Amino acid sequence: MKYTVQDMTIFQQQKQFIDTAIVPLVQLDFSEQALLQSSMAASYLLSLTNYIEQQFKGRMVLLPPVCYTMMLRSPTLLQNIHEELENGGFRHIFYITTDVSWRTIDAEKAIIWLPPIPLESMDQNVRKSILEDQLKQILPTFLADWNTGQ
Amino acid sequence: MSNNRVSRRQFLGYTLTGVGGFMAAGMLMPMVRFAVDPILQKKGDGDFVQTAQKISELSNEPTRVDFSYEQVDGWYTSEVTNSAWVYKDGDNVIALSPVCKHLGCTVNWGGDTAHPDQFFCPCHLGRYEKNGKNVAGTPPLGPLDQYEISEKDGFLLIGKPTENTLI
Repeated sequence: MKYTVQDMTIFQQQKQFIDTAIVPLVQLDFSEQALLQSSMAASYLLSLTNYIEQQFKGRMVLLPPVCYTMMLRSPTLLQNIHEELENGGFRHIFYITTDVSWRTIDAEKAIIWLPPIPLESMDQNVRKSILEDQLKQILPTFLADWNTGQ
Repeated sequence: MSNNRVSRRQFLGYTLTGVGGFMAAGMLMPMVRFAVDPILQKKGDGDFVQTAQKISELSNEPTRVDFSYEQVDGWYTSEVTNSAWVYKDGDNVIALSPVCKHLGCTVNWGGDTAHPDQFFCPCHLGRYEKNGKNVAGTPPLGPLDQYEISEKDGFLLIGKPTENTLI
C-alpha cells in the first residue's frame, strides 16, 4: 500500500491484515562533496522501497520518504513518527535507510541499514536482480518480526 | 473540332464547378473523417508486451517471466516492471498474474516449503493451486488472474489480465 487515497481506503477497511509500516529515511545533503552521493543513495532507497511495496502490498504501507538534514537527525524525529504510526495501529514499523549514523542514534527501533548501490549506471535487468538480492537480504528481518508478533 | 467548341461561358462554368468541388471536398473530408474515426482506429498488437521468454523453452513447471512497459501518470513517465507465472499445459501456454487476490501482494511458486506445488503469498499465508485456484481456508477469496497471451517469432507476448478461465 502506498500513502494514497485509494490505498488508504483499503487500509482502513482491512486494518487487521495491514499491520506493517515502512519508513524510508533520506538524508538531504547539498554540500559540494556529498550532493551526488546523497542523491544517489536517495534514488536507490526509493527504488528499493517501491520494490518492497510491490512484493508485500497487502501487508505493508510504504510511507513517503522522511527527509532530514544533519541538524534534524535526532532520536526525537524518529520517536515522533514512531508514536504517530503506533497510534495509527501499526504493530510492525521498519525504518530503512542508507545513512549509517542512525544505528548509533537509535538502536532500539527496527532500523534496516543498507549500503547504497549506484543503480543509475546499470541496465534495467541488472537493476532488477540487484533489488531482488537486496530484498532477500532484508526479508528475514521482516519475517522474524512478523512471526514474533503473532 | 469545330463542332465542339467550348464557349467562354461553358469554360468558366466548368472551371468554377471544379474549383468549388475541391473546396467543398476540402471542408467536408475532415468532418467525415472525424465522424467515422472510431471505426478506423487500429486495434492490434498494441496491447501486448514483448517478453524475452521463448515459448519452446517453457515447461509444465511455472517459471517467472518479467516484462516491462512505460506508464504515463500525469507528467510522470515511469517504466513499470511486471511479471507472470507461465507454464505449459499440454500445448496450451498458461500465464497467471502474480498478484494475490487478497490484498495485492506478489505470490511465488513453491514459496512455502510445506507446499512446493502451490503458489504462496508470504503476507498472510495465502495459497493457490497450480491453475490459480485459491486454496480454501487461506485468506484469498478468488483465483489468480490470467493474462492474455500471444506469440511472435517464437517469443511470448503478454496482454491484459483477465478472469481465470481454467476453473
